Amino acid sequence: MNRKSFSLAVLAAAVAVSVSVTALHAQTRGGNAVVAITQAPPTLDAQVTTIQSARHINLHIYETLYARDENGKPVPDLAESVAVSPDGKTYTLALRKGVKFHNGKTMGSADVVASLERYRKIGANANLLSEVETISAKGPNEVVIKLKKVQSTLLDTLSSSTAPLAIYPAEEAAKGANKIAYIGTGPFKFVEFIPDSHVKLERFKDYVPNPHYTKRDGFAGKKEVYLDTVTFRFMPEAGARVAALQSGEVHLVETVDGPTKKRLETNPAFKIYKLLPFSFQIIKLNHAVPPTDNLAFRQAVVAALDMEEIMSIAYPDIYQLDGGWLYPKSPAYVGVGLNTYNKPDLKKARELVAKSGYKGEKITFLVDNLRANTDTATVVQQRLAQIGVNVDIKVTDWPTAVKIGWSPEGWNLFAHGFGIQPFEGPGTVMSAFAGGQLHQKPDAEIDRLYAAYSGELDAEKGKALFASFQQHMINDVIAIKVGNYGLFQVGTAKLRNFEPYRIPRMWGVWLDK
Amino acid sequence: MPQYLLRRFIAAIPVMFLVSLMSFAVIWLVPGDPASSFLDASATQEQIARIRQELGLNQPLWQQMLHWYGRVLTGDLGQSILLHRSVGEALLERLPVTLSLAALALVLAAVLGISAGIFAAMHRGGTADRAVMTASLLGLSVPDFWLGLVMIVVFAVGLGWLPSGGFVPITESVVGWMRTMTLPALTLALVQTGFIARMTRSAMLDVLDQDFIRTADAKGLKHGFVVLRHGLPNAMLPILTVLGIIAGSLLGGAVVVEQVFSLPGVGRLIIGAIMSRDFPVIQGGLLFLAAIYVVINLMVDLLYAVVDPRVRL
Amino acid sequence: MNPSSSFTRIVRRVLAHPSIVIGGGLVLAVAAVALLAGVVSPYDPLASNFRMKLQTPSAEHWFGTDHFGRDVLSRVIYGGRLSLQIGLMVVLITGLFGTLIGSVAGYFRRLDDPIMRLMDALMAFPAILLALTVSATLGASVQNVIIALSIATTPHTARIVRSSVLVVREMQYVEAARALGAGDWRILWFHVLANSLAPLIVRLTFVFASAILAEAVLSYIGVGPPPPTPSFGNIIANGRDFMVEAPWVTIFPGLAIVVCVLGLNLLGDGLRDLLDPRIKVGP
Repeated sequence: MNRKSFSLAVLAAAVAVSVSVTALHAQTRGGNAVVAITQAPPTLDAQVTTIQSARHINLHIYETLYARDENGKPVPDLAESVAVSPDGKTYTLALRKGVKFHNGKTMGSADVVASLERYRKIGANANLLSEVETISAKGPNEVVIKLKKVQSTLLDTLSSSTAPLAIYPAEEAAKGANKIAYIGTGPFKFVEFIPDSHVKLERFKDYVPNPHYTKRDGFAGKKEVYLDTVTFRFMPEAGARVAALQSGEVHLVETVDGPTKKRLETNPAFKIYKLLPFSFQIIKLNHAVPPTDNLAFRQAVVAALDMEEIMSIAYPDIYQLDGGWLYPKSPAYVGVGLNTYNKPDLKKARELVAKSGYKGEKITFLVDNLRANTDTATVVQQRLAQIGVNVDIKVTDWPTAVKIGWSPEGWNLFAHGFGIQPFEGPGTVMSAFAGGQLHQKPDAEIDRLYAAYSGELDAEKGKALFASFQQHMINDVIAIKVGNYGLFQVGTAKLRNFEPYRIPRMWGVWLDK
Repeated sequence: MPQYLLRRFIAAIPVMFLVSLMSFAVIWLVPGDPASSFLDASATQEQIARIRQELGLNQPLWQQMLHWYGRVLTGDLGQSILLHRSVGEALLERLPVTLSLAALALVLAAVLGISAGIFAAMHRGGTADRAVMTASLLGLSVPDFWLGLVMIVVFAVGLGWLPSGGFVPITESVVGWMRTMTLPALTLALVQTGFIARMTRSAMLDVLDQDFIRTADAKGLKHGFVVLRHGLPNAMLPILTVLGIIAGSLLGGAVVVEQVFSLPGVGRLIIGAIMSRDFPVIQGGLLFLAAIYVVINLMVDLLYAVVDPRVRL
Repeated sequence: MNPSSSFTRIVRRVLAHPSIVIGGGLVLAVAAVALLAGVVSPYDPLASNFRMKLQTPSAEHWFGTDHFGRDVLSRVIYGGRLSLQIGLMVVLITGLFGTLIGSVAGYFRRLDDPIMRLMDALMAFPAILLALTVSATLGASVQNVIIALSIATTPHTARIVRSSVLVVREMQYVEAARALGAGDWRILWFHVLANSLAPLIVRLTFVFASAILAEAVLSYIGVGPPPPTPSFGNIIANGRDFMVEAPWVTIFPGLAIVVCVLGLNLLGDGLRDLLDPRIKVGP
């Protein structure tokens, strides 16, 4: 063979191989994916609720001006760029052009202004916009936000996913809470919502993925849709979710527990995704009623607990022991004060109980009926019994727990998850505890630190402020951080290119035939 | 007959009124409200207050009662807070599911139960009789939700023959409907079969003891023929009464079975409403169930009148 | 008449009914285990050992362990104790109030209609929804479960008592007693109630059975007795996340329920056959 035909042969072979390799990895277009989630959303009006199940669905239908990337940093999504005035109080946002709503209307500054004003009035986290003085349109594609004072967190707010500042058409934004038609700019379009069964979405044909990005990135990036439709089925029973996955009725399950994951991971028909950390397990203490109003008593409680015992029972195989008030990969994560985390010492705990003057009265541990929370209470009750503290577990359903937990009476301890705040950043974590809402007693130190953080544009200084906050949380036992837990998500092996995130993202994924 | 029906209907009104009063008592007494379903664990007092305001929950109770009764008298059960549709719509959407389940279970239980009861009566005192009776009693002693869970583990997960939950409307796919209804209907039916078998047996025994049966036997007719042709029709009355009673308890059992198999029926709707404090749905749902109960009783009475000419009112 | 021979006669009559023997035997066995829980139970039902989670049934743990590492057999034994306590309390309360309400309604004509309307209204919902609503209102606790279940079972009991009372009221000897000047209440208690005793006893046996079943359902829905104390229902409820991986946590308490309830149903059947086969009281 001469050199020329040899090179031709090599070229041909290379082409053949690359063609076949591409064929192997080509995305399959079409198909209907079914995702099993644990709870039905209370509403599909994204702005008015902070419930996680609403986010799972709403962040497919709607978009925000800025969005969080894979690491939680705000990056442009519906906005193209922002120009900040030298005094830090005026933000001019340039909007992307040619973005369409699901009803065919082109998004413009009027829609953005209307949506943001609506959020200021009825958004679930409207207080995040409390420092905003005015919001106005400057031409069809620019929006100007003027602040009363400098806020380091404005872009965080615009990109927040907790109760997102979703952009609606101005006509919808004029409507009251829960009265809108579900029209957004997102990659999926609303089809139907059967409240205790499912929500169905379909691919929005006129969706243009953001041209500034080349791949999927958190809630932002390039959102390409390969599926025809996605159905989110509400299945509160863990056993039913797994059964549905195994029988093929469902392609992805939002969460399965450790033992199930162990059983399924050897089965080539399924793929396991591990998302850790996803949330904190915390125990709030009521600082307004005895004996938890006493610092020594609170310290006694901390000293008695074995965090590993609690986490391994509540969240088997999917937990991390970490005492920090942010996720480990967060840029502002600090190790301040963590040398005292998870150091159970029953002797020391008994001494602290004695010091606190506790007389043996019953204390109430409030939980809703989520198994992980009732299990947390059960373990804590046993441990505290060993140091002579009587705990009465009050299990209620969620509405009653909310009613009692947000009043200064009727509870001493309250366990639940705390997930979206650490993701959204130090400001969000601090604001949750500012005003003393969560522990029933105003705390001047936290308020001071939070106010300072809001006004602090320098990242390093901000991090230092958060470190002080964390130290204060630990010293004063404002609330107890038990540990981090995560999610095991399981999908059929036919579901390709899925990567777990704060919500099960159904863009960028496809179903093999 | 129409006067009879009218009389019974009027008699039902105070009952319905009491039911509605009880549902208001529930709203008054039960702590918490629907605002909590919109907010997660870190909600603040002001967030809760704002949502309560938007949902109109701050009206005094007597005002809410007045509005509700006013609406009900015009046939409007109000608007669900969490389901974004009228209560009436929500109930009607879910009725086919509960009805399919209850009807299917009733048919299964009736067929199995009546045949078992007749069989036992015919072999009275023998081992067959004892076996059937013990099996029936066993059926009655099994908790229906537990049975459902076991069925899921064995048939849906273990053998993979049937789905573990969800509902496919019959209009969409007959096969799909049958598959999603099989395990729930079986679970629900198993308990009721026991009831029906026992009742049928005792009704048949009463009848078979009577003279006209002995006469028929003496005439030389085959005993089986006698039982079915002469005995059964006379036992129908008590059997029908039982079916009427069963229909009521089927509704109750359906509530639980719907939970286990995630069927979007009326029972699950009401349980969900109680758990999330969707007050209009709780009230509308309870009234609706009471109405169904009244209607079923009326129908049983009607059947009574049809089957037994002596009961002509 | 020799007292001991009439006693033996009664005993022999009782023993002639296999349902009473078997049913009664089962119930006594369960009750014995529950009473002797402290002695019979191999482990502390509350002692968690998270390194021994979800063990399959073995020689050390006959019923396996749950996800806390607690011994399921011990929990089932103590669960039986709580479930039986709840059942017994429901029986007592239902018996007391059902009799009171039923006899007043049956005897005093003017009160009959309003009382029975109220009972009808209560019976117009599936018992489970009634119990669920009461529990959600009052909060989940053993006491509230008992109240909720009693409210659900009393109307039917009242109805049964009322029926008996109606029958007896018309009888000759009651008229005679009244003619002789005996007070209403006396007549009521001595003659009337004595006659309704049979159906009442049978009914209460079935109430016991249904209370055990209902407690399990309430626990399953989430409004049963709170942790950590086990009841049959809450063992199943707490283990249901792991139903597929660790079915023993679901299966054994369920079987225990079946055994208890079957025993009670057999006993009720047998008692009915013994006392008066004509009465139409069923499980």
